[in-house]
Parts: sequence; structure tokens; C-alpha cells
Amino acid sequence: MNLWMSLALRLSLGAVPCLVVAAFFGAVAGLALATLLLLLAVISHWRMLNQLRKWLQSPTTETIPDAAGALGQVFADLYRAQRDQERSRARLAASLERFREAAGALPDGVVMLDPENRIDWFNPAAQGQFGLDPERDSGTLVTNLLRQPDFTAYIQQGDFSEPLLMRGAAADSRVFSIVVIPFAVSNRLLLSRDVSQIERVETMRRDFVANVSHELRTPLTVIMGFLEHLVDDPAMEQQTRMHFLKLLHDQAQRMNRLVDDLLTLSKLENRQQPMHEEIVDIPSLLSILVADGKSLSAGKHAFKVDFAAGNLLGSASELRSAFGNLVSNAVRYTPDGGTISLRWIVEAGVPVFSVADNGLGIAPEHLPRLTERFYRVDKGRSAQTGGTGLGLAIVKHALLNHQARLEIDSTLGAGSTFKAIFPSTRMVAVEPTTTVSALVKT
Amino acid sequence: MALMSDHVSKKFDAELEGLRSRVMQMGGLVETQINHAIEAFLHGDTDGFDQVIADDEQVNFLEVSIDDDCTHIIARRQPTAGDLRMVMAVIKIVTDLERIGDEAAKIARMGNQVYQRDNLLVPRLHEMRAMGDVAVRMLRDVLDAFVRLDPVAAARIVREDETVDDNFRGYLRLLITYMMEDPRTISTALDIVFVSKALERIGDHVKNIAENVIYIVKGKDVRHIGLDQLEREALSENN
Repeated sequence: MNLWMSLALRLSLGAVPCLVVAAFFGAVAGLALATLLLLLAVISHWRMLNQLRKWLQSPTTETIPDAAGALGQVFADLYRAQRDQERSRARLAASLERFREAAGALPDGVVMLDPENRIDWFNPAAQGQFGLDPERDSGTLVTNLLRQPDFTAYIQQGDFSEPLLMRGAAADSRVFSIVVIPFAVSNRLLLSRDVSQIERVETMRRDFVANVSHELRTPLTVIMGFLEHLVDDPAMEQQTRMHFLKLLHDQAQRMNRLVDDLLTLSKLENRQQPMHEEIVDIPSLLSILVADGKSLSAGKHAFKVDFAAGNLLGSASELRSAFGNLVSNAVRYTPDGGTISLRWIVEAGVPVFSVADNGLGIAPEHLPRLTERFYRVDKGRSAQTGGTGLGLAIVKHALLNHQARLEIDSTLGAGSTFKAIFPSTRMVAVEPTTTVSALVKT
Repeated sequence: MALMSDHVSKKFDAELEGLRSRVMQMGGLVETQINHAIEAFLHGDTDGFDQVIADDEQVNFLEVSIDDDCTHIIARRQPTAGDLRMVMAVIKIVTDLERIGDEAAKIARMGNQVYQRDNLLVPRLHEMRAMGDVAVRMLRDVLDAFVRLDPVAAARIVREDETVDDNFRGYLRLLITYMMEDPRTISTALDIVFVSKALERIGDHVKNIAENVIYIVKGKDVRHIGLDQLEREALSENN
């Protein structure tokens, strides 16, 4: 409604009783009533203005005063404006809260920095990674809390194109990759990711390459030395020449063994197709193993064989290489005259293959690392016994493929027992008629 | 926080803040130094030893230059109350930090000596790793307590120093049994005794820094008053 129209209506509404009174009691009484009505109107407006002033000090939708007339319209408009504002503020708060929750749920550490590199806000991951304290640390210079000299230099030089790899301050030697992203004029966002695992794998890979090169180089150096000798001295005595050639042959064989083992290991690890499973005739496998062991031992060790369990479901070639490595280790690390016993029995309901010797034994601190590639208990000895350093790694992977586990029990000076423990589901009852031809081929 | 009140001169605030961050920079360097020294000792990494010894020069340089800053602030600004305590404490803290750096360099030199013998006859090095971990953690905590001006954390660190002393005595007994069993281990074991003594000394310096943090915040000198009273002072409400 038009404001002027409404005013005119109200004035005429007030004027009608005044005119009526004036008509009956005279002009003076009419004027008095008009004055009284005007006074009342002024008082009521003054009261409402006062309410409005009070309300404006802390405006909320609940406490808005209620009134009629022109100010009532004002109040209604204010109410609408206030309601819209409260709604949009709630929406903003909710979306900010959602953003903080999302940043809080990130597995990576997030720290917001102001232009002076003071900490504005950080998420729980950053709190855990850097030992920050949400109660005390906002407003602190980030370099006062992350004090690594590398980090201080990184944040001060201002070139963040490359992430920074940084050791954590704690003694647990965690490694973090730190990225700084500028945002909103001169604020910065610091992202940190725990890359300890990746670093560890990287170190292992580097070590592996270094080890392989070293292992291949040693025989190669010997071969090159002898070859040079043979080339330089054509008039060499036949006997010396034969001796050299034999040594060359030995070293070439050693390299060949290493490459074979590496290939076996890589095949075991990166299997593309599912394992070719068949029923493996363990008793005949055992007799082959004993024959191999005896030829390696050249009569220096006594062998005992004991089998009471049935056949096994699995890959004949992998089992043969796993068991074969256990037997050849036993031969290598048992002094002459020792006894090596192979057992294939059912223990506590599961089939167990074990190789026990009464040789040197292994100190307990070496046991956990024994299946690592190129891990050597005694660096000097294994090279002369002809091991490649990969045998137990092969055993471990072959057994893993059969869901079996390797248990090592050893006493220094008294001998060792290596047990391959298979799940009972792989056991196959012996049927006297079954013989597996696959074995003979491998 | 009362200690970080605005001064009429904004520049004075900036100078105090700059002083604190230089102390932290020095602290960070010393932290890295000890970390490297212990890691290198446990792994026989001779390059690591050289690095630790080389870093010591930078620590020494920082000590001198922070001391110089303190003298300038006192001369020009005549600080009072909390500011004066802060400057005085910083002078003492950098001395302790520099000594900690010296201990790290000492560990590195001992390490060089042990590994040149090329044969570790004393195998129980993981005891030392445990001691080193405690020393590194205490140093980190005390520097954090200094940044946050947290007297409660500082009091906790003072108490922790007792554990370091106990560990040192325990490790010493263990090394003595090795030396008695096999006289060939004596020279290496003695070097290891010196290294663990250095770690124990680091604990003492960290304790001094912690006492200075309590002094800054509470205005009470808590040296030589016994642990229980120190904790009461640190936890008291009045500032």
C-alpha cells in the first residue's frame, strides 16, 4: 500500500471522532481530543523506536518487536533481511565446517601459514607428524617449531617448484615430503606427506642393485684376470693352462648360478598366471633331493630320510627349488662328518618338511633377516662355499606361493632346523598307484 | 600472553621476536647435529661424523652472534621485567645449546676412533640407541617448551633428566661386565663410555634450558632448589 494513502487513511480515521465530538460538544472539546490522540500516537511511536534501537544492539529473528502501522512495515522488512542473513551465515558456516572436516580427514598434513610464516591453522595429520599443539601453536612462526635447518632454508628461499624431503625431528626417523603452495595473495599452504615407506623400498632397491652388481663382479674379476694371463702368456704349460681353465669354469658356473637364482626369484615374485598346480609325489622328490645332496656333499655327510606324510598339491618345480635350497644350505654349513636329516611328516595336523643339521648353527640376531636377499651371516664364508645369497629368499617366495611358512630353529654350535609348514588343505592322501611323471622331467 | 605484550616501539617487538627465532634456528641445527651424530655412530658412517664436526662451527658462530644481539638489545632498549628475563635467559640458553653441539661433535670424534679400529667387540649398541633417543626427544621438547613458553612441560623435562642419569649408570655397569669378561673390549668400551657420558651431559644441558624457560615465565630462579619445589613453582598460578 502506498505510504501516503496509508497516512491519509490513518489521519482521516483519527479526524472522524474529533469532528463528531466537535459537532456535539464544541470546537474546543474536538481540538482537545485531537491533541490527545496525536500525543498518544507520538508516545506509541517513541516506544517503538526505542524497541527498535534496543533490538538493533543484538539483532536476532526471535526477539524482533511486533508493531502495527508504518514502523510495523519497517520491522517486517528488517525481520526478512535478518532471516536471510542468518540463513546465509549458517550456510557459510556449514560449508566452512565441511571444508575443515575434509582438510582434517586428509591423510597428509596441512598447515596454513600467514604472510609472515606464522601458523594459522593445521589439521590433525600435521599435528601428529610435527608434534604441534592446537591449543598453543596458532600464531607461532612455523620455523620455530619445525626447526630442521633444511626446512628453514627451504621456506626462506621461496622457490617451491621442487618438494623438500625432510627427516622428522623424532628419533623414529620418519621421512616427509613437503610441498608449499602459495594461495590468496601471500598466504601459504604447507602440505606434508609421510614417505618413510617409499624411502625404505627405494633403499632396498638400491641395495639390491648394488648387491647384484657386486656379486656378479667378483667372479668376473677373477675370470678377466685369468683370461689376461692366458692371453699374455701363450707358451703356458699345459698343466697350468688346464688348472686356469678349470678355475675359469668354476667362476663362470658361479655367475650362471647367480643369474639362474635371480631369474627364479623374479619368476616367483612376478607370477602373471596362477600357479600350475599338480599332485607332487613327495617321496620321489625326496629321493632326488637326497641324491643331489649326496653328490654336493661328496660323501662327507651322512643323510637320514624319514617320511610319513602323503603327497602335496603344488608346483613341482617350485617345491623342488625350495627344498633343494634347504638341503644344499645344510650341506654347505655343516662341517664334514655331520648328519643331515630330511623329514616329511604330519605335525599337529599339518604337513611339515624339515631339514635338520648338526652344523654351525645361526646366532639369534641373524634369524629375522635371513631370508633377505644377499643377507650374509658371515661375509667371508658363504662366498667360498659357493652360495649365491639368494637361496633362502627363493625358499621364502616359493613357500609363500604355497601359503606355507618357513620356521627356523637354531642354536649356535649345535645345528639348525629349517621347517616348511604347509596348510593341511594342500595335503593329498597317498595312493600307491599314483606316480607323477612331472618330477622326472624337472 | 602477557610476555608478548605490544610495546610502544613495534621495532622492539620485532627485535625480541627475531632473537627468539634465531635461538630456534640454532636449536634446530643442534638437534640435527645430535641426530646425525647418533645415527652415524650406530651405523659407522664416517661421512656423517665429518658433517657433524663441520656443523659445529656454524653453531659456534650462531652463539657469538646471538650473544651480540642480546648485548645490543640491553644497551639500546634497557628491557625490564619479562623482556629482561627473556634476554638474560637467551644468553644462558645459547651457552647450553653450544655445549650440546660440542657434545655432538665429541660423539662424532669418538665414533671416528671406534670405527677406525674396524671391529666392534661390544655388541650392545641398542642400549645406546635408547639413551640417544631420550636425549634427542628431551632437546626437542625443551625447545618446544621455549617456543610455547610452557613451564609445565619444562618441569617435566627437568624430572626426565633423572631417568637419563639412571640409564647412564645402568649402561656403565653393563659395559664394565664386558670389560671384565674380555680385556680386548676395554678400549672400545671406554670410547662408548665417553659417548654415553656425552649423552648424559646433553641431558644436563637440556635441564638447564628447561630451568631457564621456567625463569622466563614465572620470574623465579629455580636452579638448585630441588625437584619438588621446582614443580610447585612451575605449576603455580601467579605469573
